[in-house]
Amino acid sequence: MSRSLALFTTLAALITSAAPKALGAETVWSGLIIAENAEQPQPIPPELTRIERPLKQLFGYSQFQVIGQSRKTLRTGQEDWLATSKFFALHVDAQGESEAGYVLNLKLYKEKELLLESDAKLSKRSPLIIKGPQVGGGQLLLILIVQ
Amino acid sequence: MKTFEEKWTAWLDDQLSGRERAEFEASLLDRAAAEAERAAAKKLGALLRRELGTHDLANEEFFSHQLRERIARETHLPIRERDVEVSPWWTVGRLLWTGTASLAVFSVFMIFVVHDRNPVEQSQYLTQILNARVDPVVSPNASISMFEAKDDRVTVLWTEGLQSLPADYAAK
Repeated sequence: MSRSLALFTTLAALITSAAPKALGAETVWSGLIIAENAEQPQPIPPELTRIERPLKQLFGYSQFQVIGQSRKTLRTGQEDWLATSKFFALHVDAQGESEAGYVLNLKLYKEKELLLESDAKLSKRSPLIIKGPQVGGGQLLLILIVQ
Repeated sequence: MKTFEEKWTAWLDDQLSGRERAEFEASLLDRAAAEAERAAAKKLGALLRRELGTHDLANEEFFSHQLRERIARETHLPIRERDVEVSPWWTVGRLLWTGTASLAVFSVFMIFVVHDRNPVEQSQYLTQILNARVDPVVSPNASISMFEAKDDRVTVLWTEGLQSLPADYAAK
């Protein structure tokens, strides 16, 4: 009887440790960024500090400015939201969550014109960077980070 | 000063001295009935001594007998049975063994099961782009590629050939 109890406890511990962990309420930061070269670059926005190195290495710009942003707390994994600037809008539609992250449908609009659409599985450990169109001497970037 | 009951008991047992006895017998209202009762009590006493005297056990003998029986019973029990009676199953030693065995099983599980899953989970920790498309009418020359910068844990959707826009579009 006692041995059975010990065996059961051991198995329960193993199963519990192996069970997938559900995501709790997470906040997703979505930003519209203009990357450009400046003689005296502004400090990088705090939301982007954790990806400053890959941003500079990949795109070669010295300054990154947020022109539109949204911070959304996901509770059901089914929310949708907009990050907008004067001319651009990023519509994000969360379509569920898994152990790996959130499944998102992303649409980039220039005013009412759809420029780009993508589906992605956003991990909370891994930001998503999307290179958008050229804007003047700089580049529009779309960035999503689970905070 | 003795009570009547004490004197009565002493009289039945012939414990009263001559003067006390004479005084007590003089105080009895029905001497004949008292004598009959004393005779009956003596007869009953004699009967009890005769019949029960041989079966009496002194206290020492009784406890010795109990001890001998217990020792004999425990001596003939198997060792495991005696242990069960004496100590609970969850001794410190057994707890240690159980804990060690559980850790060993858990370690084996971690090594053989979780380790094998690591390559898959590694990619799950990176954001995955499932698909991407641009409007071919708006951007007919656009192309799309995707890659992961694993050192920085960043996933990039890289577009080329999207329609360029004037600097005014950088407004907040």
